Amino acid sequence: MSVKQALLALLEEGPRYGYQLRAQFEHRTGATWPLNVGQVYTTLTRLERDGLVEGAGADAEGHVVYRITEAGRDEVAAWFTTPVSRTQPPRDELAIKLALAVTVPGVDVGRVIQQQRSATMTALQDYTRLKRRAAAGQEREDLAWSLVLDSLVFAAEAEIRWLDHCEARLRRAELERPETLLEEILADEAEAQAHR
Amino acid sequence: MRWLRSWRLPLRLARREAARARGRSVLVLVMIALPVLAVTAADVVIQTAQVSAAEGLDRRLGSADALITYQPGSGQVFQDVDPTVSTSNGTGDTEQVLPELAEVEQAVGPGTTGISWDQGSVGVETAKGVSDTEVSELDLRDPLSDGIFDVTSGRPAAATDEIVINHELADRGFDLGDELTVRGGATYTVVGIGDGTSYHGYPMAVGLPGSLGLAEKRYQASFLVGGGAVSWDQVRELNAEGALVLSRAVVLDPPPRSEIPDEVKAFESGTDSAMVAVIVLIVVMALIEVVLLAGPAFAVGARRQSRALALMAATGGTPRQARRVVLANGVVLGGIGAILGVLVGLVVAWLSLPIVQHFSDERLGPFDVPWPHLLGIAAFGLLSALLAAVVPAWIASRQDVVAVLAGRRGDRRPSLRSPLLGLVLLGVGIAGAVLGASGRGEFFIAGAAIAAVLGMILLVPVVLVAVARLARRFPLTLRYAVRDAARHRSRTVPAVAAVAATVAGVVALGIGVTSDEAENEGTYVASLPMGTGVVTDAFAEGEQWDTLRAATLRGLPEATVTPMQGVAEGGDEEKTSYYVEVLVPGSDDSEEDTRLLEYSSSVFGSSVLVGDELPSALDLPASARGPAAATLRSGGAVVFTDRGVESERIEVVAHRYDPDATDEKVTRVTVPALVVPVADGRSAPVAVVTTATAERVGVPVGTMGLAVTGAGVSEQQESDAQEALAGIDENATLYVERGYQTDDETVIVQLVLGALGAVLMLGGTLTATFLALSDARADLATLSAVGAAPRTRRGVAAAYALVVGMVGAALGAAVGLIPGIAVSYPLTRGYEPGAAAHYLDIPWLLIVGLVVVLPLLTALVVGLSARSRLPLVARLD
Amino acid sequence: MSAVLQMTDVSRVHGSGATEVHALRAVSFAVRPGELVAVMGPSGSGKSTLLTLAGGLDAPTRGVVEVEGVDLAGLGNAGRARMRRTSIGYVFQDFNLIPALTAAENVALPGELDGVGAKVARAAARKALDEVGIGDLWDRFPDNMSGGQQQRVAIARAIVGERRLILADEPTGALDTETGEEILRLLRARCDAGAAGVLVTHEARHAAWADRVVFLRDGVVVDETGSDRADVLLDSGSPR
Ligand SMILES: Nc1ncnc2c1ncn2[C@@H]1O[C@H](COP(=O)(O)OP(=O)(O)O)[C@@H](O)[C@H]1O
Ligand SMILES: [Mg+2]
Repeated sequence: MSVKQALLALLEEGPRYGYQLRAQFEHRTGATWPLNVGQVYTTLTRLERDGLVEGAGADAEGHVVYRITEAGRDEVAAWFTTPVSRTQPPRDELAIKLALAVTVPGVDVGRVIQQQRSATMTALQDYTRLKRRAAAGQEREDLAWSLVLDSLVFAAEAEIRWLDHCEARLRRAELERPETLLEEILADEAEAQAHR
Repeated sequence: MRWLRSWRLPLRLARREAARARGRSVLVLVMIALPVLAVTAADVVIQTAQVSAAEGLDRRLGSADALITYQPGSGQVFQDVDPTVSTSNGTGDTEQVLPELAEVEQAVGPGTTGISWDQGSVGVETAKGVSDTEVSELDLRDPLSDGIFDVTSGRPAAATDEIVINHELADRGFDLGDELTVRGGATYTVVGIGDGTSYHGYPMAVGLPGSLGLAEKRYQASFLVGGGAVSWDQVRELNAEGALVLSRAVVLDPPPRSEIPDEVKAFESGTDSAMVAVIVLIVVMALIEVVLLAGPAFAVGARRQSRALALMAATGGTPRQARRVVLANGVVLGGIGAILGVLVGLVVAWLSLPIVQHFSDERLGPFDVPWPHLLGIAAFGLLSALLAAVVPAWIASRQDVVAVLAGRRGDRRPSLRSPLLGLVLLGVGIAGAVLGASGRGEFFIAGAAIAAVLGMILLVPVVLVAVARLARRFPLTLRYAVRDAARHRSRTVPAVAAVAATVAGVVALGIGVTSDEAENEGTYVASLPMGTGVVTDAFAEGEQWDTLRAATLRGLPEATVTPMQGVAEGGDEEKTSYYVEVLVPGSDDSEEDTRLLEYSSSVFGSSVLVGDELPSALDLPASARGPAAATLRSGGAVVFTDRGVESERIEVVAHRYDPDATDEKVTRVTVPALVVPVADGRSAPVAVVTTATAERVGVPVGTMGLAVTGAGVSEQQESDAQEALAGIDENATLYVERGYQTDDETVIVQLVLGALGAVLMLGGTLTATFLALSDARADLATLSAVGAAPRTRRGVAAAYALVVGMVGAALGAAVGLIPGIAVSYPLTRGYEPGAAAHYLDIPWLLIVGLVVVLPLLTALVVGLSARSRLPLVARLD
Repeated sequence: MSAVLQMTDVSRVHGSGATEVHALRAVSFAVRPGELVAVMGPSGSGKSTLLTLAGGLDAPTRGVVEVEGVDLAGLGNAGRARMRRTSIGYVFQDFNLIPALTAAENVALPGELDGVGAKVARAAARKALDEVGIGDLWDRFPDNMSGGQQQRVAIARAIVGERRLILADEPTGALDTETGEEILRLLRARCDAGAAGVLVTHEARHAAWADRVVFLRDGVVVDETGSDRADVLLDSGSPR
């Protein structure tokens, strides 16, 4: 996740100081990815160094206010127009766990899948409930949060679908050799990631 | 109320469904409305053509209050409200003088005024000869006669030498101002032309009372009277004096039935039970046919609604409610069809009245709409639609809801019970046919035929499944059609059954007609040697025969025309009549077994021919001609027998009846004879005797006919000669022996049967095919998706028509044989107890045409006319 | 609180002998008022069978199905039909409506089948249509409505007359994500108002709207989730 570009995007709306930026970020993403103020200030310093933001003095209460530069605007525009790269699959604990469960003798893979599915389903139910509340709001920020929740919902759904798929494959391949199965499961995982 | 409410939803659904599936609705409407229309139109035309007493009052009474008719010798008469139904005790004096107008006015009561009205007929001389003309002596100027004869141009006769004629007489060459001469009577001036209001189609004339001389030869006297209503009591009083009365007041306001004299009530005909049986039979047959024809449309409708019915079940509908929804389709379409049929039938009847009038002598009455009948006819339409919806409704209510909701077909397995019942009914039909054939008669057979047809309907599914079993080796389209037909039995069965029922009817009737025909041919007896002819004229005398002979020769120049002499049995100028018998000597004519002929009606105009030569037109075996001629030359007689009588001599007995003598005079002469045996003496004369013999028994001899020999008479020549003869005397007829000729009527009946059968068969086949195609959209889409050529659709259509037509026709022909063969027994049973011969002729050509040719032809037509475009997407609805 | 739907050891076997199919095997299952339960499972796992048994459209081979405390087996066909008119509402994946009836008439169907006067049934139907947000489309025919609108009508028909048990068999299957969620929102709202609901689906995202998710495999319940964590999550300082 790119905190750098996110802060730049927030500054495009107008000059802000550090704490303000943090609050705005969390508000819009529904506190899904918590930021600490230290991280915000470190990032701002680095942005100032790269000439993407500049100091704009302090407000009445003495907060240092930052303003975006022309280079900063270009950077934001570029960020919005380039897709998020998927060339490097992020490390996925669940995929690795399953891959190992399939290969290590004595593990009840079905049980692993089922437990995971229940857990993911429960999470999905939580997200859905949150979403229902978010949907009640009318402001643009509510929509922003709702979209973030959707991202989580779809990710969880994809995971459940993948688990269903694994289960079906496992059943079908009860007698097949585990090595090839492992490879296939990893390949499927990559595919599921691509959907997310 | 609650019951009515429970039909609201089904009826609403049915209404919308009818509007949504327009093609199918139109199909059903046509099928329901057509018979209703036809029967309605026929009924209205018949009712209109029948003139009831009340409707006919003006044309029979004019504006008078009563028509009073005296007949001499009546004594006391008894009459119904309308005096056309009457009787008398016959105690009156035949010499009674008919009353004069004044006496009649007196008899009816004070204040009565009347005019006399005598009717009769005269011969009017026309350019071509003499025209028989109905005449009335009636003063058309008198208001009492208004409405009896419409004078459209000119005026009524005002003097005794004036006359009014109708258009038919005017067409024979008379116009206003022309002179008109009555044969053997006076000459009149035509002053008016018009039309009688009761009849048309033949010449009529009206003159003033006394002008036409009818009074002298009248056998009854009629008077129109006015001046006050004539009550039933007055009618009874006049009846007592021998007068029949048609009273306006009585007809319009009839007395209770109890007041009608018992003497007249005896004429009241009870309802004829045979007639009722025929009507019931026809109605049942028509009902079955209509139900079967409309059945497939309802079956498809119910299938289309199966999803909706399943949804209804899921929301808490009961099977009974599902049944109601399908039945409601029958109510809606049947109701609309019935109303439509009645309304269009009324219009058709109204439009066809001028045509009907053209063919009828009697003037039609006012346009008559028999509402109670029409209600019954409409009920028939509604009932047929309801019955057609019953089976689909039953199947729909039994469907597997879960399966339908899951998108599968929800038909339950068909039960085994109905085919078994079908077999039982078929057995009943066969048994009934056998019983009917062995003496119970046609009605029994017809009832049995209905049982057999019903049984057959129940067996159709089994046959379809069996045919589907054989389908493995058929080409794709045919295989598809057969399997589809077997799968969708609810729509295929009624269609196949409709075709089968039609074919069964046609085959049964066809066997009856051709067997009847075979009997006629088998029992035909030639009257004359083949190719010869005879001219007879019951009224011709003397020189007229020469004229007739000349006319015959003009028509047939190559023929030899010889006059044939015979005993003039009718009598001579003095009205003395004669009757000649030929007997074996010593026997009495009352003894049955000595008669020479079973029955005789000579084609020669006389039963005893007189001649010293053998008449050439006589049908004699060649070997008998020589001896017969010799017998006549030696003064003997040639007699015929079909009863195997043998005798050397015969006795000629002449009975003579004089008008003034009360007893008869008998003269007997015995002469040597040659008895010629003939197979059937029905058309042979009894005997040929010599002139001398005729003189000895003292009977008058005259020309009785002209023998036409020596020429092959073509039918054209025959009709030419016939026309030439009719120009001279309309009683003259020429008969030419041609052997057995099929009756025109029989040919027409066969043609009509065939055409009706073909139309009904086509109807059944086409509806089933049309419905199957619309039902098969999804399958056809699949076929096109896997690459079937567009003509596959045509192939499927043709195959479907072939399956429905052929299976139906084959079944129908098989079932039709049963009543057909059975009915040939009572139909061809001879009149004479001895003639046990039974004729059976199965019209194989007709059957092959129905079972093979017609289905193939239908399939071809369907295949060529079906759209060849395949549906590209399957639509579910 | 007693369950609106209680299935105890319910089995359903189709056919017999070699072609025997066990659609459900000894399933026990309960839905309480105010509860929406999702049933998840791959195709052929017995989800629809479970619903047809719960709605009394089909009878179990073994086991007891009770709706509002009444054993359906003891009711007879007519009694079960009445149950569907008054207590149980059905929603299917598609072709839910009778094409020859308007939206309002479709919704009024249970009432009319029950013999309620057409006017009364129609009034109730209009109210139910308002509730699902398409009160203005009451006189449209199904052919003239979008899939989502049709499905709303189907929901209205399932809830009309205050029916307490709503059985929905893949009600969102034929709809796009957004429209599907609208339908789920309506179902959810109905359950929040006190009805009991069973939602059959094979999409996890839709099942997540339920309070409880039951996993079916080959006619057997293999797992079940129930969660109160959302409330925990909400209480722990989220901005909402
Ligand atoms: N009428 C039937 N006859 C035979 N098998 C059936 C019938 N109905 C359903 N089944 C079988 O029962 C199982 C469960 O079906 P269903 O409940 O429709 O599954 P789902 O709705 O989960 O896809 C399937 O294997 C199906 O083939
Ligand atoms: Mg299902």
